[in-house]
Amino acid sequence: MMPKRFLFATILWVGIFVHAQNKQLLYDFTEIPQALMLNPGMETDFNWYAGIPVLSGISVQAGSSGISVNDLFANDGLDFNDKVRDRAINGLTVRDELSGTFELEILNGGFRGRDPNVFYSFGLYSEVNFINYWPKDYAILAFEGNADRLNERFDLGHLKTRGEMLNVFHFGVNKKTNSSLVLGARGKIYSSIIDINSTKNDGYFVTTEGQNNIFASTLDAELLLRTSGINAIERAIDDQNVPGTIIKRGLFGGNLGLGVDMGFTYYLNPQTIMTGSLLDVGFIYHTNEIESFSLNGNATIEGIEIILPDALLDPDQDYWENLVDDIEAFIPFEETTKSYLTFRPAKLYASLRYNFGEPMEGSADCNCDYLNPGGGSSVTKYRNSVGGQLYVINRPRGPQSAITAFYQRRFGNYMALKTTYTADKFTLTNIGLGVNFQAGPVNLYLMADNLLAYRNIAASNYASFQFGLNIISWEKK
Amino acid sequence: MKKIISYFLAAFTFVLLFSCIEEQDFNQYDDLSITPTFEASILYLEVPERTINLVTGLNTYSQNFNFDAFAEDIFSERVLEGVLTYEVANTTSKPLQIEIQFLDEAGTVLDTERFQLDPEPTATLQREIAYGPAGRSIDIIRNTSSITLTATNLGDNTSTSSQSNPLVTLKSSGKFMVRIK
Repeated sequence: MMPKRFLFATILWVGIFVHAQNKQLLYDFTEIPQALMLNPGMETDFNWYAGIPVLSGISVQAGSSGISVNDLFANDGLDFNDKVRDRAINGLTVRDELSGTFELEILNGGFRGRDPNVFYSFGLYSEVNFINYWPKDYAILAFEGNADRLNERFDLGHLKTRGEMLNVFHFGVNKKTNSSLVLGARGKIYSSIIDINSTKNDGYFVTTEGQNNIFASTLDAELLLRTSGINAIERAIDDQNVPGTIIKRGLFGGNLGLGVDMGFTYYLNPQTIMTGSLLDVGFIYHTNEIESFSLNGNATIEGIEIILPDALLDPDQDYWENLVDDIEAFIPFEETTKSYLTFRPAKLYASLRYNFGEPMEGSADCNCDYLNPGGGSSVTKYRNSVGGQLYVINRPRGPQSAITAFYQRRFGNYMALKTTYTADKFTLTNIGLGVNFQAGPVNLYLMADNLLAYRNIAASNYASFQFGLNIISWEKK
Repeated sequence: MKKIISYFLAAFTFVLLFSCIEEQDFNQYDDLSITPTFEASILYLEVPERTINLVTGLNTYSQNFNFDAFAEDIFSERVLEGVLTYEVANTTSKPLQIEIQFLDEAGTVLDTERFQLDPEPTATLQREIAYGPAGRSIDIIRNTSSITLTATNLGDNTSTSSQSNPLVTLKSSGKFMVRIK
């Protein structure tokens, strides 16, 4: 029982600490190389940078809308079953979700080309993400059953879940086309390790008054669960070779896909900047280690029916087996190994920033000021920035969005702070703080949000944490 | 620089140290009880009067048939209690007796339900049989592997009912509570 209990709690905790992939603190934080991953068209002034392998970018995000660990497990003396019934079964809606993302940069680097206006970046990162919408009608059916719910349809479309583990190889080009515009693009090769998705479900289960018998039970199902890589991992568990299998599948041995990121930075005037990016516009084509299951069809049954005189024609027939066979014929359960295509959850960022305060020299060699931005990698820095950001991600139940207001403060060239206020479906009180330290060539950043939730972490609906360590070089004077 | 970094490390440590978590009791999961109640039709029997009249000399129809729905592990190991509901209607001109027997795998009769039906006009007879703590042993349900259905004509083979489409029908449904956790 212990493992089940901890699994239950862990799912809720993971749901709370791993979430919808919004990196509002890192976005357009131009002092940090990893911000290029969120906008390949970001303004850059590095000559080159190298992420410390495995430590250059670690991010964990999680969210659960509608319920928190504290809602269920607080030691408040309330009956646990009442809490589950009131706050989960009856309290959550089909739009509530548990979701999370974990990203780990394995390699990340960048260098300026011969043309000082062009900056290249490349790397490899691992990503695990999942989203599970609350399957409300399934939960009602499981917790309460169908008794005394005549004519109430249980919507089978409530099952929507998706999860994947993959490695992403990427190479990006960033070019300052003129003093006002920076454009960037990044190509990606996805190497999928595991994929599981069940997002295109439809149908219902309903109990109605029977035509002959007391009740008629109708199942109209159009259910599909697709997986890739699970077989390989199961075999690896038997062979005790899980790490080797994951590494192999992550290094082009799994299912492959292609994607692209695009972005820009545009100076509306020397102090006002607009940015935007579109990330992970791509797909993965799953061709190996596929195992998919479907249940398609429609059947209405009223129990075993013995109608004379027809039943006398074959008195030895097995009515029960015939009924089971009929149901299986009408609603066949099929297992296939057919290839399938998945699209990555595309993300959109946009921001408007106003820089103000005393202009300062950046770390790069720059014979410039705020009115003369100079050429090449030169960037005029201001002590303060304020602005707003928009984030949208494509999800199985449609786009989710978040809006952010931010303030950024720079302390010389060795430290920068960014604080954000973000509103989304998880919380309306998300205040985050990010700090970037630059000690010579060593760059360190730390970011965490939903800080108000730290008053009682168990009651939090959302949290994220990011950390990274890089070596950065500028063209020094 | 060092001073500012120190301030922020101190602030970060402060957040870590003074972040709070209300007392949680994950042992509450052990108290979780999931016991849904499901209902569905089980058996429907229909015998028209003309069929009864066709059978001469032998006034009994008896049929034993396999019924593994209750014996499936997923049900038999989890069922807690339940109610079987019968609705019997007779619009024929004959008095009838219908008997349902629940048998285990060895053919032993576990339970019997008998219905005596007067000739038409009669009202629909409804009967609910509880199994579990408030009724007969739930083991009857758990161990049922087959059902024997016997219909006996206690009247003649010639009379006809004044009702249109006269027949005898038996409807039945089950409503069972099962323990998922």
